[in-house]
Amino acid sequence: MTAAILPALRKPRLGRFGDPAFRALTSAFALLVLVILGGIVAALARGALPALAKFGLPFLASAAWNPVKENFGAAAPIYGTLVTSAIAMLVAIPLAFGIALFITELCPAWLKRPLGTMIELLAAIPSIIYGIWGLFVFAPFLQAHLEPAIIASLGALPGIGALFAGPPLGIGLLTAGLILAIMVLPFITAVMRDVFATVPAILRESAYGIGATTFEVVWRVVLPYTRTGVLGGIMLGLGRALGETMAVTFVIGNAHRIQASLLQPGTTISAALANEFTEAVGDIYTSSLIALGLILFIITAIVLALAKLMLIRLEARAGA
Amino acid sequence: MSAALYVRRRRRNAFVIGLAVAATTLGILWLALILFALLRNGIAALGPDLFLRMTPPPGSKGGLLNAIAGSLVLTLVGTAAGAPAGILAGTFLAEYGRGSRLAAVLRFLNDILLSAPSIIIGLFIYAVMVLPMGHFSAWAGAAALAIITIPVVLRTTEDMLGLVPAALREAAAALGAPRWKVIVIVAYRAALQGMVTGVMLAVARIAGETAPLLFTVLNNQFWSTDMNAPMANLPVVIFQFALSPYADWQRLAWGGALLITATILLLNIAAHLIAARSSSSR
Amino acid sequence: MNAETSLAAARAALPPRVARPGARRVLEEKIVIRDLSFYYRDFAALKRIGLALYDKQVTAFIGPSGCGKSTLLRTMNRIYDLYPGQRATGEILLDGENILDPRQDLNLLRAKVGMVFQKPTPFPMSIFDNIAFGIRLYERLGTGELADRVEEALRRAALWDEVKDKLRQSGLSLSGGQQQRLCIARAIAVKPEVLLLDEPASALDPISTQRIEELIAELKSDYCIAIVTHNMQQAARSSDFTAFMYLGELVEFDETEAIFTKPREKRTEDYITGRFG
Repeated sequence: MTAAILPALRKPRLGRFGDPAFRALTSAFALLVLVILGGIVAALARGALPALAKFGLPFLASAAWNPVKENFGAAAPIYGTLVTSAIAMLVAIPLAFGIALFITELCPAWLKRPLGTMIELLAAIPSIIYGIWGLFVFAPFLQAHLEPAIIASLGALPGIGALFAGPPLGIGLLTAGLILAIMVLPFITAVMRDVFATVPAILRESAYGIGATTFEVVWRVVLPYTRTGVLGGIMLGLGRALGETMAVTFVIGNAHRIQASLLQPGTTISAALANEFTEAVGDIYTSSLIALGLILFIITAIVLALAKLMLIRLEARAGA
Repeated sequence: MSAALYVRRRRRNAFVIGLAVAATTLGILWLALILFALLRNGIAALGPDLFLRMTPPPGSKGGLLNAIAGSLVLTLVGTAAGAPAGILAGTFLAEYGRGSRLAAVLRFLNDILLSAPSIIIGLFIYAVMVLPMGHFSAWAGAAALAIITIPVVLRTTEDMLGLVPAALREAAAALGAPRWKVIVIVAYRAALQGMVTGVMLAVARIAGETAPLLFTVLNNQFWSTDMNAPMANLPVVIFQFALSPYADWQRLAWGGALLITATILLLNIAAHLIAARSSSSR
Repeated sequence: MNAETSLAAARAALPPRVARPGARRVLEEKIVIRDLSFYYRDFAALKRIGLALYDKQVTAFIGPSGCGKSTLLRTMNRIYDLYPGQRATGEILLDGENILDPRQDLNLLRAKVGMVFQKPTPFPMSIFDNIAFGIRLYERLGTGELADRVEEALRRAALWDEVKDKLRQSGLSLSGGQQQRLCIARAIAVKPEVLLLDEPASALDPISTQRIEELIAELKSDYCIAIVTHNMQQAARSSDFTAFMYLGELVEFDETEAIFTKPREKRTEDYITGRFG
């Protein structure tokens, strides 16, 4: 049986090959994403191999960073990365929650759009701007006003006082953490606002209907309903904070040391890379930096994957 | 009903609302502070020299001409390479792969790539381009920017094609159009504004990226149009000049920062306007 | 094996029934559907349908929501093939050839079997390009010839006088009724032989509906037309044959007059008199 039903003169122009060709083209580019990610892992692993072979697992625990003796360890940058990100999350999460609550529950309708746009603009400002602002404006302000006050009050306390010891330098882990907080704030806020909006209006209305206050509606209805989504948003922000480079590099001080005081200079993985990579001499030095990059990529990939899984779970429920 | 309990509940509510308002105010204040500092310090650096002269050696006057030109070239080449790749990949996820397991996995991986630290992208390009070539180059910088562009454009393309009504695709298929013509002639056209918005947002994103350029394109104190050699660019110039001890260089860094921010905010606002127009015309 | 299943087995062994009410007149069978079943994954939306559609006649499909009438229409140009998990079994013969054959070229099939949807679906391009889109797919015409074909299609769809001065404007700028006539014009511009209309007037106002019905009567002389409708009066007014469907089965198929005046089945009578559905 022939499939051709139409008279011969009505032949489609590109015959039967147009569709398979376009399909192959688009799928090739879709697979490119996989190739790039695989390539990143492979390239970093290969570059990190000499350092990992030389130092082994203790590389992760060693705080040494001596280019002259070619002795390197990842502990200081990992510590700095985790501490600055922790400070950032501590500051940004409550702020983001407050802003998202304001936008979804309190804000008059005419203000919603401008506020939303403003948050997105804040997110669009490149990180180098935060860095230069941090270096020239924020750090001097901290040095002159906030840090002396912190040292005088909190620094005198037993125990936690060690966290706030030393001279006010303006640059250091605390400054970097605060700049990071400003950077990730719009990301977390945007996700929180979006997931708050997935709460069915009827749920919210029935809570208000029995006389609950705004706070009670958000705390007891909206937040439990969107828990996974909110967590996803926080993880997304954390992923950003861990990998952020320029905003941190300007204000961290770039010192490969682990110190108790948050007011002292430190370094993060990305800052160490930005500061030292082009000037690194010797294969082991370069390889150690690439190994830092590999560690950073693995940490952020895990955090981002968890964030995505949480958001996907919320989406699946909202869609069902 | 206990009146005391009610009063306590209302007080707590008022307190939390107060905190929410304070948080919002603080957020706006922060944005205002940053923009204010940018304007104050940036405008001082503004002038014809900024656009007409090359980056100077320390201690002498100059401008950012070569860095501006370099950034334009890098952004242009990065977008030209990355945006079509992202559009085609997004087309696969939204059209041929819709609902498939492969598409779900690729979407997930794309989100990882989208949020991967950009300095890692720089390291990757260093390993696969700069090392084998033996030198830094504008090609390497543009490649790093292209890799950052792909996931952004892929994501918006997929989202926007997903909003094209199934009825429109059916109507085109019902005329006997093959799938690829349905996509290219009908679905692309219906999603055009959203896709343009996505590309503009990607341009805005890469225009200010610094970290991936540090070890790919490096910097160049002089005018260069050679894609095979290091090239001056605004972000890296800002980075180096801001961290230098010279007042002239720091001033230029502020000028560059203002230029970049203004460009990016304008691109973002334009993208929002296009998106708003397309959503109101439906 | 109990009595019921053996009866079902016996029935399954019989040759599938094809309803052919048109014996009294000399009519040409354009589409013959035999033993057609349709599945959305595991759900059977059509169960062993058999009927014939005649050339130059209008056949209406009526029945309550979810009865499968739109699904049946969507098998005739295999538009369901766009979606994974949907499949049809049985035979649909178009001029004697089974279009459910996996080797069937779908694009050529759809060029021959045009379809108009419930909601107007103008493409986001000019009125002219909307019509020219389908023509260009299969024919390479000069500018003048193409313009002639576009005009011809718009005239047949009774839209020409309203749009002849604004062919370059977007198809989206037309009113709902005009958009639907644009879609009909777009479908007939490809010169199909069969027209499938899936509730073409349900989204339109009464005046636009009337124009569409007039248009159907007009087009009947050239095409085999199948129309799905919720509106019983519309079926009565504009069709020659009517099929009543219920829960994925073809309950009754006859000349429209017979269906509406002396239905043989109780369920048909209940439905057309408004007692259910």
